[in-house]
Amino acid sequence: MKTMRLFPLELRRLLQSRLTWLIMALTVLSPVLGLVLYKPATSTTMLSMYLANPAIAGGAAGAILFGLLAIFELDRARRSRVDILTDAVVSPLTTALTRLLALLTAAVLTAGLTMLVWLPISAGLIGSVFTGVNFLLAYLLLMGLALPLGILAAAAAYQFTRRADLSIVLFIAFCALSLTVWSAEWQLCWLNPCVWALSDDFSNFRVFRSVAWMRLTWLAALAGVWTVSYLCIRQYGKGIFGSLARSVRRIYRPAVALALLACSGTAYAAQPFIDNSNPDLTVMSFYEIPYAEGVTFLSRSAQVFPDTDAGTVTGRASYQFQNTSGQEQSISFGINPGYTISNVQANGTDVPFTVSDYQEYNEALLEVTIPAEEEVELTMEYSGFPQESMPTMQGGKELSSEYLCLENSALSPRVMNVMPGEAGYPTTIEITLPASMIAIPFSSSEAEVISENADGTRTWRYEANSAGGILYAGDYICEQIEAGGMTIEFYYGRKHQAVMAEAGAVDAVKAVVDYCTEHYGKLSYGTGDTLKLIQSRVAGGGYAVDGASLLDEADFTAANLGDVQKGGGAGEVMIHELVHQWWGLGNMFDTVDSTSPWSAEGLTVYTTYRIVKELYGEDYAREHYVDQWQQAVDDYYLNYYVRHPEYLEMLPENEQLAISNSLSQVRQYNEMPLKILKAEQLVGGEEAMDQILHDLFNRELDPMYPYLTYQEFLDACHLTEEDLNLG
Amino acid sequence: MGKIFRYECRRLLWNKFFIGLAVVLLLYGAFVLHAVTILGVAHTAPFSPWSFGDYLSRMMPLLWIGMLFFLTFYTSPQARRTAILTDAAPMPPKQYVLVRCAAALTGGVLLSLLCMAEAAVFYGRMFRWYSWGSLLLPALVTLLPALVFALGSGWLLGRLRPWLVYVWMAVPFLLAALSLPEAFGLWNGSFFTAHPLTLGVLDPDFVLPAAVLAAQLLLLIAGILLLQIAFRAAVPPGGSITRRAVRR
Repeated sequence: MKTMRLFPLELRRLLQSRLTWLIMALTVLSPVLGLVLYKPATSTTMLSMYLANPAIAGGAAGAILFGLLAIFELDRARRSRVDILTDAVVSPLTTALTRLLALLTAAVLTAGLTMLVWLPISAGLIGSVFTGVNFLLAYLLLMGLALPLGILAAAAAYQFTRRADLSIVLFIAFCALSLTVWSAEWQLCWLNPCVWALSDDFSNFRVFRSVAWMRLTWLAALAGVWTVSYLCIRQYGKGIFGSLARSVRRIYRPAVALALLACSGTAYAAQPFIDNSNPDLTVMSFYEIPYAEGVTFLSRSAQVFPDTDAGTVTGRASYQFQNTSGQEQSISFGINPGYTISNVQANGTDVPFTVSDYQEYNEALLEVTIPAEEEVELTMEYSGFPQESMPTMQGGKELSSEYLCLENSALSPRVMNVMPGEAGYPTTIEITLPASMIAIPFSSSEAEVISENADGTRTWRYEANSAGGILYAGDYICEQIEAGGMTIEFYYGRKHQAVMAEAGAVDAVKAVVDYCTEHYGKLSYGTGDTLKLIQSRVAGGGYAVDGASLLDEADFTAANLGDVQKGGGAGEVMIHELVHQWWGLGNMFDTVDSTSPWSAEGLTVYTTYRIVKELYGEDYAREHYVDQWQQAVDDYYLNYYVRHPEYLEMLPENEQLAISNSLSQVRQYNEMPLKILKAEQLVGGEEAMDQILHDLFNRELDPMYPYLTYQEFLDACHLTEEDLNLG
Repeated sequence: MGKIFRYECRRLLWNKFFIGLAVVLLLYGAFVLHAVTILGVAHTAPFSPWSFGDYLSRMMPLLWIGMLFFLTFYTSPQARRTAILTDAAPMPPKQYVLVRCAAALTGGVLLSLLCMAEAAVFYGRMFRWYSWGSLLLPALVTLLPALVFALGSGWLLGRLRPWLVYVWMAVPFLLAALSLPEAFGLWNGSFFTAHPLTLGVLDPDFVLPAAVLAAQLLLLIAGILLLQIAFRAAVPPGGSITRRAVRR
């Protein structure tokens, strides 16, 4: 009661302090650090650059500032040597609780102010893909919840030590731990959440859930620690243990502390987001499981029911096997480690099964014993929160009413040790989704709606032929484009419509596919008639299978489309990114060697130049491409570190890497296209170069090393490296 | 006089504000050195006078603000309220102004030296480069005129209206946004990035065109003249500084 009576007085006193307002003002300003200095989210989506980074930086700076304010405020009476008097008037325990509440209220006010100030700034920077939900969640979770953590940690440190200097050192060390040693440990980095990317076009609930989990775990932990420190507040002239012994007489106090610490420990241990996959990615023991003797695969089907509100999946899978061995056989499945398997039956009878604790490549091993009958129908149910493997790149298992991607064992248990039957692995998948979502199998299969349900959902069905399979679904727009003699189905997020329209995406796709198909040949993963180009949620790269290819949304952000290094405008950068389907995905390149300009970018930029030349004329192409390359290459050769590499070698590794990466980019994006242009002149012109590139694109691949090398390019041109020197 | 100077220096430099300013300056300096200067400007070495000059130009807005903040110790309403007591000291007002300006300039110079020392440490640690003598000229022509002008103009503006000093702090940012002619290129740092490219040689020695030198001299002289006016405006104890200055 006394606390509640004192709280308004304490809050008013706190808000009358100039230091409080200075701390609040600095905290409100601190997101600017995320724009210029501290950028933990490495992706180039607009939300990563202009929302995640400022919010995380604001959270980290704000937590530190409020922590220091908390120490300053708690030490005020002692510093002024009036603590003996104030303690005589009000119990130090009551004072501590009141001060904590006042500080937390000031933190809430500051978070609100920060959001008000940064709302228009963020909206302006992010552009058409800005949404209020993302903004609110980012500032609440990435920034807002950091402030109470800072206050609790600092206040606890002071209450334990009762010395401002010592508690500042402890608090700063605790912050430094999060920013350095724990920065890649998603559950431990309490100050700076592990967020590498936020999607512009699709939802980010998975990432936000993960951050909220981490924050609440720490909130419980630090509230518990604070409560213990509260019990240690010195009273009646006693020391730390005497005061503790006195405070614990009211049993509910230590009980609350213990309950909070236990909650935190449980939350830490039982986190549902990340699996325990073997970190050694060279181990692939699941692929070494011997095939079940005499068992062949006939067909399978699955009914999948994603819960887009909870982010969970429920499903029923059914498998038909032929068992000619005359014995019971153990069938192995890969399942997502977040799923629980139940109700496993063979021909209507319960059969034993085990799920391994060992996990590998985001899969746990489910082993089911099937009976010694010739025809076996195995059914099972699975449900749970799909887990992912990479804690520093979370978000891949996003599941909401805007987007989902269910890959292999996350879609339904994947058979691992059964030989395919005559028809291979015939599969029928049915998935029930909200009406706003389109189901897109990542293959040549087409999904169709088989029922419209009363709850506003639709059930989609598609046939495939694989033991696994990937399904994308989301609030997509599909553009059908006739180009290169085939139908391109171009899927992109509805939120990206304005950006895509501005960049002339449809025209770019048509121009690229027509040009590249005519000059270099058809994509090997196109089925001949159709090709799906699917813009995915930010994933750090793309991949392709027969009939479908993935485009990472990060390549199509407004910022990337404005990158002059890749093209003269948004439409041309769009062309550049699409050309990567031929040079980069259709023909792969090995990891970039920092000493060589050879990479997928050289041929991609050159091809972009050729397409632009065809579209807008030679003068335009020369001005916006060749002249720009020349200028950049001239600058590159004059660069001090290029002329004096010994100084580059003197630099620490990080600085060296940053500079050589930047120089390497110039070489890849400017020097290499110029070299290819020179090669074009040396081999006899554009037609001859087109023929060479056509032959290279369609060459027979070595499965052990399928990459296109610089030497292969030089050999095809009958040139040497020296011939292409630009000096 | 020496005693008062030491007292004023201690008042200006031995407080949380100076330490905070120095910390901010050092942090910003580290950021500039690691993000910009390390790359070198105009194809020159990171430790060339041109790159160093560019670094100082980038630090200049903070140094300018620091210098003007020192002046707020003397021009703030609180300081003016206590002037009636301090003016009662047995010392000619002009000398007192001189001492205070010298203390503020000392503060500015110390901050500048801090920036230069940080750069020197950076060059030594990163490149094992220690020929600091070649950096004195760019430091002198960049910093001295600007700091003296900040002192003179800031003092006068602060005497007229204390809040004008805060408005004056925005000047370097305004200059950075403007496209100035080459002669005034040192005022926003564009000189260091543009001029070496016009010399037609790689790694050119540091040279100052006559026009740039004249502009800097002009700035220095203007600063000294403004200080002169400030000294003249100083009044004996009991008089009103503002009123006298306006009457003149």
